[in-house]
Amino acid sequence: MINLTINGKQIEVEDGTTVLNAARQNDIKIPTLCDHKNLTPYGGCRLCVVEVKGMRVPIASCTLPASNGMVIETETDSLKKSRNIILSLLFSERNHFCPFCQVSGGDCELQNAAYDEHMTHWQMQPQWTNFPVDTSHSRFILDNNRCILCRRCIRACAEMSGNFTLGVEERGSATIVVADTNVPLGESTCVSCGSCVQVCPTGALIDRSSAYLGHDKNMTVTRSVCRGCSLGCGIMIHTRDNRIVKITGDYENKNAGTLCETGRYKTLDEKRTRLTTPMKRVAGQLTATSWDDALTILASNLTSNKNSIAALASTRLTVESMAAFKSLFADGLGNDVVTSIEEGRPTALQAKYAEANGESIEGKLDTLRTADCVLVIGADLSETHEVASFYIKRNMPKGTRLIVVDPSENGMDDLANINLKPKAGTDEAVFDAIEAAVIKEGLARTDAKTSKVSLDVALSACGLAEEDVIAVAHMLAEAVAPVIVYGKGVSAFGGEAVMDAMVRVAKLTGASDSERRGILSVKGEANSLAAAQLKMDVPFDVKNRKVAYLAVGDDFVSKRLVKALDDIPYVIVQASYESALTERADLVLPVSIWAEEAGHALNTEGRVQFAEAALTGPEGVRSNLDLLNEVAKLLNVKLNDDWRTALTARTSVVEIEM
Amino acid sequence: MTKPKISSDWMAGCSGCHMSLLDIDERLLEIAELADIRATPITDLKEPDESGVDVGILEGGINNSSNEEVAHRMRERSKILVAFGDCAVFGGVPALRNMCGTQEALQRAYVDIESNDESGKIPNDPELAVMSNVRALHEVVDVDLHVPGCPPDPDVIYYVLKELAQGRMPEMKDENLHWH
Amino acid sequence: MKFFRSHVLVSVDPECVEQGAHQIVDALNDELVAQGLIDEIQVLETSRLGDPARFGPDLVVYPENVHYANLTVEDVPFLVEEHFLKGRIVEKFRAKETIVTDDELGAPKAKEVRIVLRNCGKIDPHNIEEYIAEDGYQALANALTTSTPEKVIDEMMRSGLRGRGGAGFPAARKWQLCRQVPDNPKYLTCNADEGDPGAFMNRRVLESDPHSVVEGMIIAAYAIGASMGYVYCRAEYPIAVANLNIAIEQAREFGFLGNNIFGTDFSFDLEVRMGAGAFVCGEETALIASIEGKRGEPRPRPPFPAVKGVWGKPTNNNNVETYAVVPQILLKGADWYASMGTEKSKGTKTFAIAGDVVNTGLIEVPFGLSLREVIFDVGGGIKDGKQFKAIQTGGPMGGCLVAEHLDLPLDYEALTKAGSMMGSGGLIIMDDETCMVDIARFFMEFTQEESCGKCTPCRVGTRRILDILEKICEGKGTLADIDRLEMLCEEVMKNSLCGLGQGAPNPVVSTLKHFRAEYIAHVVEKRCPAKVCRALISYEIEPACTGCMVCARNCPVEAITGERRQLHIIDDNICIRCGICAQVCNFNAVAVLS
Repeated sequence: MINLTINGKQIEVEDGTTVLNAARQNDIKIPTLCDHKNLTPYGGCRLCVVEVKGMRVPIASCTLPASNGMVIETETDSLKKSRNIILSLLFSERNHFCPFCQVSGGDCELQNAAYDEHMTHWQMQPQWTNFPVDTSHSRFILDNNRCILCRRCIRACAEMSGNFTLGVEERGSATIVVADTNVPLGESTCVSCGSCVQVCPTGALIDRSSAYLGHDKNMTVTRSVCRGCSLGCGIMIHTRDNRIVKITGDYENKNAGTLCETGRYKTLDEKRTRLTTPMKRVAGQLTATSWDDALTILASNLTSNKNSIAALASTRLTVESMAAFKSLFADGLGNDVVTSIEEGRPTALQAKYAEANGESIEGKLDTLRTADCVLVIGADLSETHEVASFYIKRNMPKGTRLIVVDPSENGMDDLANINLKPKAGTDEAVFDAIEAAVIKEGLARTDAKTSKVSLDVALSACGLAEEDVIAVAHMLAEAVAPVIVYGKGVSAFGGEAVMDAMVRVAKLTGASDSERRGILSVKGEANSLAAAQLKMDVPFDVKNRKVAYLAVGDDFVSKRLVKALDDIPYVIVQASYESALTERADLVLPVSIWAEEAGHALNTEGRVQFAEAALTGPEGVRSNLDLLNEVAKLLNVKLNDDWRTALTARTSVVEIEM
Repeated sequence: MTKPKISSDWMAGCSGCHMSLLDIDERLLEIAELADIRATPITDLKEPDESGVDVGILEGGINNSSNEEVAHRMRERSKILVAFGDCAVFGGVPALRNMCGTQEALQRAYVDIESNDESGKIPNDPELAVMSNVRALHEVVDVDLHVPGCPPDPDVIYYVLKELAQGRMPEMKDENLHWH
Repeated sequence: MKFFRSHVLVSVDPECVEQGAHQIVDALNDELVAQGLIDEIQVLETSRLGDPARFGPDLVVYPENVHYANLTVEDVPFLVEEHFLKGRIVEKFRAKETIVTDDELGAPKAKEVRIVLRNCGKIDPHNIEEYIAEDGYQALANALTTSTPEKVIDEMMRSGLRGRGGAGFPAARKWQLCRQVPDNPKYLTCNADEGDPGAFMNRRVLESDPHSVVEGMIIAAYAIGASMGYVYCRAEYPIAVANLNIAIEQAREFGFLGNNIFGTDFSFDLEVRMGAGAFVCGEETALIASIEGKRGEPRPRPPFPAVKGVWGKPTNNNNVETYAVVPQILLKGADWYASMGTEKSKGTKTFAIAGDVVNTGLIEVPFGLSLREVIFDVGGGIKDGKQFKAIQTGGPMGGCLVAEHLDLPLDYEALTKAGSMMGSGGLIIMDDETCMVDIARFFMEFTQEESCGKCTPCRVGTRRILDILEKICEGKGTLADIDRLEMLCEEVMKNSLCGLGQGAPNPVVSTLKHFRAEYIAHVVEKRCPAKVCRALISYEIEPACTGCMVCARNCPVEAITGERRQLHIIDDNICIRCGICAQVCNFNAVAVLS
């Protein structure tokens, strides 16, 4: 522990704390601009300078490690004058005419800093050469004329998404933030994660979709969970007048504010037509009707066909809804085809393995965030679970190595240290080969002496070169914290033998041992794991069924799924948007979208999170859970609402944290 | 004890600040009790007293030689000079013109603009004031108090006038600074 | 061991051998035997002594250090009799040495003591053996085989050597600090970025005597416990880079670099890293960032490079000159070095004299010489008979000193106390036709251009300061501008992240201090007393004009009109103040007014 004095106050902080954080922890406010709690300190704006007894000049507190006996002053007249000048210099440097900027009026940290220093005017009028405004990107605008060169965007692009697109060019007062080698942002390697926009303190980087739609003080902010994929990143939904203005990352959740394009922007790209009234098919046409009428039809239909239902629910529904769905159609009405829209493809394999072995072999996402070697197999993370790819990419300059195993093109191919392209469907042989190589090279962490299959046999089965597999063996086994990440490519096609082989490799290379679980699967959509735990992971087999009930919510539905319903006499759909499925349906029930229904989500690492509702749905729309409860009541089915127990009824491949 | 004299004028502004001043509504009577409101653009007298006033208030930035004369005149005749509103404080909306230059702005406004026919011409009568780039008041004369806002809030204006009328310098901080 | 009173070194360079060098050796031995001198005089074979085409076959006799050239076997008996028996130098056999022609260096001037520059111009920088012949790598051998790192540091401490890069921190203390950090591997860096305009001291040493730097670095690495070193050399010195690389390669061949040097368990290697045109990379943390392949921007200190430098490991950084003098100090002893200089500034320093003096160029003098001696004795005084006005020391981060400072000794303390600094050794002397406001503007232009842009005060502050100076030089300045200038200078100096920003306002502050009247004249009277600032001067033709029309013909903008033999007139509105008319006028009829 370190003891120091700030403004006469004696305080104690942990070793390694900066003076700025020491002050913050003790309610002493030091103004900052380039600093950001989630990014490495920069020390460039100089607004946080403090006087340190014994040091000749003021020192930036954000980069100054606290040391024993330090005596710090933060509010001397000299410092206040310096802050005023530093802010004046910043204002004079470029275009900081507030009236024309969308963040002016509370959302601009530069303006707020000036107000805090009671600045009424600029000491020096601005004088700058115009930089071109980059409007080439579809999602945001970069205006270097409003930039204060705090470099937060560059740090965010490096430390949050690990994309390293943004950098600076030129030096001194000609410095500009550029993408790649100064190409238009819209033509660069930018992946539109929006981390830069989220951290920009001024109006230099702004969202096209949320610009001028209101200041933070006009908005209601709701803490929620992204439903874009199974990672379940924490999000903050900013709404105004019952409309989502923007989505930002939740710094207090495990993703620490990081989001991808899907979670931040694509959710707002909604172009489908909203369903606001129940509809029934009359003489071949879908016609609007009342809820009473619709529910009466539904009750009668389901009652007569109660054992002949094929039921499917989207994994974007809340856990409560999915559990209710299962309870209703499987337990209550005794049907065996009660499944999720994923039909178990991303989860069935590992779920069976966990059950058969009574073991949770997978670890938490923290293991991935701190891995120094990652092997990704059967997954294109940059496409399907982008934030997971960020966790790997941002650590690569610190030495984390990446091995990508994918028979076809993978978005992370170019980044990989080793890129393996085995024959399709040979994942087991790939793991067998790695196992054999590890043992051959004497790198095994256990005392295993022989591999299940010889190296030559394994190599010939998967079609890989020996030197590549040996290199992989070294990379994995010599790492301190290796991790194996697998996805649908393995789960959908592999048999139990693949899981066995994977676990063997994990143990041999030290990825998994008595203290650590270095295997992760990314599974499918939002509540993919919940579907697995609720055993809603069977194929959607509609043969000989009389009724199909599809609770798809706001999910997208494939043509294949719609086609599968060709021969079913009666189709009931609860959905939020018009689609080919609702066109096929005989009864359509309008329900909430994800942001209108509060409930829990279970992410791929087994964490249960609560998501608040941020919007009120249109009149005439019911929440998925309410509707299912009502249907149950109509059918005299008592639903089991103890979803927590339902989720843990079978051993999960990853420990479930309530 | 005679009441302090207050005078105001406007230059390259929209008069919105003076409208906001009027928006202090009935409190104007209170101010009139405390101070002697002399020349303003919205009262009868138009020029500040040659013998001088205690408080001079100027709205608008300086964008031509005529504005400069007004600014100098008010500075000479005021003990305390107030830059009133964003245009006076830093240039405000008219200062947008500085980004492309006065000539280009004139060309666009008088000649190229879509609503004109081909006979558009930039006025250049010798009696017209000579244009310059748009400047904040403090770039031309010494300013004693800055009251920012576009326009400044009537509550702020009331507070400022009341303080000045009683011989005190108002404290421009916190709510008096934040634009509502 | 046998002691000989004389040694004869005969060059057996292949070209000399062709000319009969071996026969000369044999003849010498025979003659010495015949004269009974074989036990007193030793004949040795050596490498090239001088250009064989001019001197071969040649030899040199020690301890007299006499170079005999173009010898034949027949000359030998006479030579032996005269030189070794009678003790008389044989002038007719003596090699006619030509004076070393070195444009920049020349022969040592009065009061010069060449230690750092001792080999420059005398040895072939591409030949390690010539360096070895001048006691090269002897200090390293001693240090490694008979001494310890602690003893080396001790000796360096006693010598009083201060870092020659500018800060003047005691070099040995820096080594000690780095040595004590319990982390490895450790790194050594050499700052060969030499960015100050007008400074070329390091360039000389790197181009002409690179081995002195290499040896110094190896010794320093041994003292600290470093295993890898980088010489960060600016890319604008391609010859220095080339010569360093040759020197390093040769040092490796000779086993002075690499594993187990001199058979000890000390291993060290060196690499040259080139700069990319940034003055700021002369700042040690920016230099380290650049070596790591990152953008050359300074980093906050603490942590200091001695604790966390290159790749986050303990690093010692010193200037070229600091390393170059290390071997000499160890060879000749700390006492010898400390006997030169002043109480707190020991030894000698190279300086680059530039500006309005008769003798510009490099010199090396002991600390303690007064500025007056440097300018008027060594520098030869102000040229063209003009008057001394000021001397700028320490480059763009330094201040100027004036007449009242002329008797100050050249040492770290005295210069800093007078408001300037030693810097890396650039001295710019200005005569009375220099405008000090213009000088301040010139230096600020440089630092503004070179500011890395990381921190607000330097990036924007230098820009604003430069704007004001330009405004003043254009005649548009006000007294309020001068107040703002002073305020900005103070704030930039206090709040900048690194030495560039902290020092950039120095020229402005010191010229304001000593030449405030010039600033006031520019601002209030719109006049440039030194008649330099173009916007404030005008040219006028005086009655001495003979109407020869030379000026009119040479005026690039045709601003001069006049009939033959009539007084010519310059149109002030067209004149661009280039000064060509004044230069070409043979009658001194063109006056500059302000």
